[in-house]
Order: sequence, then C-alpha cells, then structure tokens
Amino acid sequence: MTTDSITRQRTPIALISITIVAIGVVLFVLNLMLGSVSIPFEEFKEAVFGDATSTYHAIIFDYRLPQAITALLAGIGLSVSGLLMQTLFSNPLADPSLLGISSGSSLGVALVVLLAGGLGGVSVGTWALWSTFGVAMAAFAGAFLVLMLVLALSSRLRNMVSLILVGIMIAYIAGSVTDILKFFSQKEGLHSFVIWGMGSFSNVGKAQLPFFAATILIGIVGSFLLFKTLNLLLLGERYAENLGVNIRRSSMLIILVSGFLTAIITAFCGPIAFLGLAVPHIARFLFRSSDHKLLIPATAFIGMDLALFCNLIARLPSFEGNLPVNSVTALIGAPIVLWVIFHRQKVLK
Amino acid sequence: MNEVLHTKDLLIGYNGQALMPEINVCLNEGDIVALAGPNGSGKTTLFKTLSSTLKPVGGEVSLFGKPLTDYSPTERSSLFSLVLTEKPDDLFLKVFDIVAAGRYPHLGLLARLRADDKKIIYDSLETVGISHLVDRNFVSLSDGEQQKVMIAKALVQDTPLIFMDEPAAFLDYPSKIELVNIMHKLSREKKKTILFSSHDLDLLLRHADVMWVVAPQQPLRLGTPKILVGQGIIDMYFKPIVAKEEFFWMN
Repeated sequence: MTTDSITRQRTPIALISITIVAIGVVLFVLNLMLGSVSIPFEEFKEAVFGDATSTYHAIIFDYRLPQAITALLAGIGLSVSGLLMQTLFSNPLADPSLLGISSGSSLGVALVVLLAGGLGGVSVGTWALWSTFGVAMAAFAGAFLVLMLVLALSSRLRNMVSLILVGIMIAYIAGSVTDILKFFSQKEGLHSFVIWGMGSFSNVGKAQLPFFAATILIGIVGSFLLFKTLNLLLLGERYAENLGVNIRRSSMLIILVSGFLTAIITAFCGPIAFLGLAVPHIARFLFRSSDHKLLIPATAFIGMDLALFCNLIARLPSFEGNLPVNSVTALIGAPIVLWVIFHRQKVLK
Repeated sequence: MNEVLHTKDLLIGYNGQALMPEINVCLNEGDIVALAGPNGSGKTTLFKTLSSTLKPVGGEVSLFGKPLTDYSPTERSSLFSLVLTEKPDDLFLKVFDIVAAGRYPHLGLLARLRADDKKIIYDSLETVGISHLVDRNFVSLSDGEQQKVMIAKALVQDTPLIFMDEPAAFLDYPSKIELVNIMHKLSREKKKTILFSSHDLDLLLRHADVMWVVAPQQPLRLGTPKILVGQGIIDMYFKPIVAKEEFFWMN
C-alpha cells in the first residue's frame, strides 16, 4: 500500500458547522422577537429596518439586543472556559467553577451587597439593585482574588489532582464565609444577592456591552492560541513535556485564560451553571473529535446556541420574562450530558 | 560510531537517596539496548532520569556531548522521543491526531500540516503497519495496536534517540516479536538509537543484542544476554523474582 492510497474518513465538519451557525442566527432573531411582549414578524422587520420611532424599536434595541448579545457572549466564554478546564485536568466533569472562581465572585457580591447593607444600616440592597455595575465589580474582584490565589498555589503544585482539591477547598471557604454573611444580613441585601445568584443575561447595559464583548474576545483569542498545548496535554503530561510543553507555565496560562473568562461572565451574569460542563461534550460528540483547533470554535458556537436557547426559554411569554437562567441551563444541560454519555459508546468504533 | 548518550558517575534515586552505585554507560548511533531488571529494580527511575523527567541525585547525563540540563524543553523535543506505559485515554482522540501531535515540535504557531508533514505521518504509520487504523479512535484499539501508534508518534517526532518504557508489557507473543522486528527495522533503516526497558526475561534473552541489567544496590552490568547468563549476572539480578514465583507454585 502506498501512502497516497490511504483513504481518510471525514466527519461532515462543514455541514455541522453551517447548521450550528444557522441555528444560532434563528435563535438570535427569536430572542429579539419573543419575550413578555411578542413582536409579530412584519412589525419586527419594520422596527429593525424602518421605523426607528416605534415602541418595538426601543424594546428590540435598548433591551433585547444587549441581552441577546450578552447571552451569546456568555455562552461562548463559559463553554470555552469549560473545555480548557476539562482538557487541563483531563477530567470530563471539570467546569469553569472547578477552581472556586465562581465562589469567589459570590463572596465578592456578598461582601458588597450584604455587609454594606448591614454596616450602613441603610437600604444598600436597593442601591445594589440598580447599580448592577457595582455588583459586577465586586464579583470580579472576588473572582480575581481567587484566581490569583489559585495561580500562586498552582506554581507550587505539580500535581493536577492537588490543584483541583485546592480549588474545591477555596470554594468551600468562600461559600461558608458567604453563608455567614447571609446569616447576618438584612432582607433587602439578601434579596438582591439571591437575584444575582439566579443568573441573568439582562445586567449588561448598552454602555457596558463593548467592554464585556472586548474582554470575552480577548479570552477566546487567548484560548485559541493555546490549542497546540491543549492538544499535546491530551496525550498525557509526560508525552506533552517530551513534545516541548512547559507543563507548569502552560497550566498557569490555561488557568489564567479560563479563570479570566469565568470571572468576567460571573461578574456580569451571576454564576451560570452547566453551560461550561455540557457544551464541550456536545462539541466532541457532534464533531467526533478531540482536536482543539476544531473544538474551540465548535464549543464557542454551540455555547452561543445553547445560551440563546436558554435565554429564550427563560423569557417565554408565559413566564412573564423572569425565569432564572440558572434553572433553565441546568434543566437543559443535564439531560444533554446524560444523552451524550449514553450514546458515546457507539462512537468508539 | 557517533555517540548519542553517555552518563558520567550518574546516581539515580529519589530525595537524594541513590538507588544503586554510579552508572557510566553510553549509547551509540543505531544501538538497540535493553534495560533489564525485575520489577522495582530502578528501571523506570533510570529511564526518567535519562529522559529528564527526574533530576539525578549525582553525576550527569549527556546527549550528543552536551549535558542534558543545557537543553531547553523545545531542544530536547527534537533529540529524543518517548514511548511510555501510560496511554492517552481521551475518548475521541484519533490515531491520526496522536501521531500528528508528534510532529508539533516541527510545526508553526497554527500547527498546519504541510504535504511533507503528512507524508512523514503516513510513512510512519506504514512503517509500524497500522495505516488502516488512521481514523480509528485510539481507545478502541488493542494494546498492541496502541503501542504501535505511540511508536509511530515517536517516529514522526524525528529524533535520533527513542526511549521505550516497557514496550512489550501487555502484548501477546506475536505482537512482541513484531515489536522487536520494528525496532530492528528502525535501527537498520533509519539509524535510530533505541533504549527500551523490560522485565520480560524470555523476550530479553531471545531478542536483545545488548542488555543493561539493574537491581537495587547492585552496580549496573552490561553485555550480551549470552555473556551475562554465562557470568551468572542474570541469575543473580533476577533471582528474588524467580524464587518468589517458585514459592508461589509450590503452594
């Protein structure tokens, strides 16, 4: 057999990719049309392309468009972040919250919303409700501190399992301090903390959107630059090292990129569960591949679709627009993961 | 003969404790050397030290006349490749992807495979006889096939020196013979230098050209299987295991 005669089987990558993007476009438009007020298609067209003074125009551009873009970006960021974690720790259950970063942001929010309310004696909780940007900053500060702590510890630990344990312990500490703060806090503060914890894509206003988009974009570009390292890590640490990977430096970089994405998204949208865990599995399963050059964009686009879909469900007219995103992502994400687990045996031939 | 590797008063072990006396050995181009010893004899420790995973307790390892520590990780990736006992376990990892990963040190930022890279990958698959498995998932292969994939990966890495840690473990007898044949082919046709470890006495005595025999607290001894058996070294170094097995059968 000559080398030219080796025939390669191909997964229909182009077809699947086009389908995923097409679904994304449809979901995006539906996100703009549907909600507590459903906009008929004719009037939607007119509001978007024609009459800038209609009420629909304002609903679409001031409220729904930023929300849809936020959902899309958060879906992309969390999913890619989850993929990075799963590869780094070679653990299919890893997700962006693994290193305690979401717990760190919860603590940050708790400190500002709950403690400030308790100390001031005034209703800071109400203040926090309108100052979503303040809450986001507190969440980011908490997440960033945990991220720095994990990075500092990761430079001392060679073993990935130890690093996971460190992350889980940090999450416990942050969680219990948050609980203690909750115990001492006032009703109003507690309320806005719980609201933040349910997750929402509607907190990023038009003004913050460019900043949010830019940071997610930086994170995604950073992830893509790591794809060679990620592919080599799939072979195992010793093989990766033999192929020129500096394990310690690479794992710090991966944690930095993944943690940065998680920190930014959690800060603005609350701790969104399950997207980061589920989407990489869907991507691997659909594309039958572990190649990160393909998986990173695939995960990003599927994450976009799923986040838009979850946002749509959470805002369905019958729910009066306020179902917590977190319960929707888990409700949709968990069965998908189960389905993938039960179907992937077939892939192995 | 071009020297590939030599050690100078090398002490191997953990936490400053040397496992055995100083090791002074060398490998020349095209050599196939078997690192032999019973389980727990320090084979893997020596392996890890030679491949820079472990720091030596004392002494020095040199590759091509330069100390191992003077090479950067990137430089090392073009000097020696590994075939290890641990295997990738990712479910969707394809044979092609694993072998292509061996080519990464030669590729640019985007890891784009040029036509000649692809040719090297397909040629290596053919050399080890697994061209037909190119699109299979790695985890669905037999132990013998997986071993060949990892050897193909080492081949596309295109290094003069290949370390194989227990390559024959878990293989059935025909696959072991095939493995030995592949190693001889690599040495003969591609001038590769191969150091492989094994505790499989049967395989070693029948098929190794030169052996380095190790046991805890004993000096490393080297020679052909025939000479080593004649000197009673094999008997002495492998004795504890043989005795244990006899004891097992007597019960």
